Amino acid sequence: MATIGELRQHLGTLSSILWNYGGTFAVPTLDRYDQGDIGFSFAAELPGGSEPKPPLIELTEVWTPERRGRFRLVEYAYEFVDYPLARRQAFHRHDPERFSREFGVVVHEHCEEILGQPACDHYYGLPMDAYEAIERFLSSWGQPTPLGCAGLRCMGEAA
Amino acid sequence: MHTKQFLSPADVARELDISTSTVLRLIHSGDLPAIAVSARIYRIPTASFEMYKAGTLTRPTTAPLGGSKARPEIGRGERLPAAAHRPLARAR
Repeated sequence: MATIGELRQHLGTLSSILWNYGGTFAVPTLDRYDQGDIGFSFAAELPGGSEPKPPLIELTEVWTPERRGRFRLVEYAYEFVDYPLARRQAFHRHDPERFSREFGVVVHEHCEEILGQPACDHYYGLPMDAYEAIERFLSSWGQPTPLGCAGLRCMGEAA
Repeated sequence: MHTKQFLSPADVARELDISTSTVLRLIHSGDLPAIAVSARIYRIPTASFEMYKAGTLTRPTTAPLGGSKARPEIGRGERLPAAAHRPLARAR
């Protein structure tokens, strides 16, 4: 739960982290959506080559109003596509009712050792905040070691 | 100007003429951005090191308020997975 002021600080902190790692992006804003929701969505290009595109981190959060001017995080998407290494990691929370009903969890991960060729469309994952996601993304940024997708558990597979 | 994407703590120590342990202290205090590629191995992005030297690393600020926008469509286009098994609600 957070107030608008706290969310502005949160977004400002995320911006400064990405800036200090050499990210380039337009200054993100805390926006208003329909039904009183607020949130942000922005993408930062990281240094590390431009073929076919620079590495890209994209952060999206949607917060819904609760009591006393506070908001609750209801959806997020943290994405990292390391285009020069052609791979992708993502941590998502969306369609929570569907995922909860079908799989007993509200979050999932995407992991592609080869961009566009996932071995599985959705993996089980743990709830994550944007700071943990950035740390995970940066730890693999430009590194030759595999992401470790094979160690994740695929959703939709028989146990 | 560096051509490498990342520098080791030893590279930074050499350039700043300080010890590697001082570089590690800067990393742990958050004064020098670095990535932890494993529990004990750090790499300093060259862009971050250049900003550190130039004194242009930023501190967190308050993000501005924007206007009304369309809500982001998170997960749009994803093929949602089919359940491996159904809950027990229908079991007799």
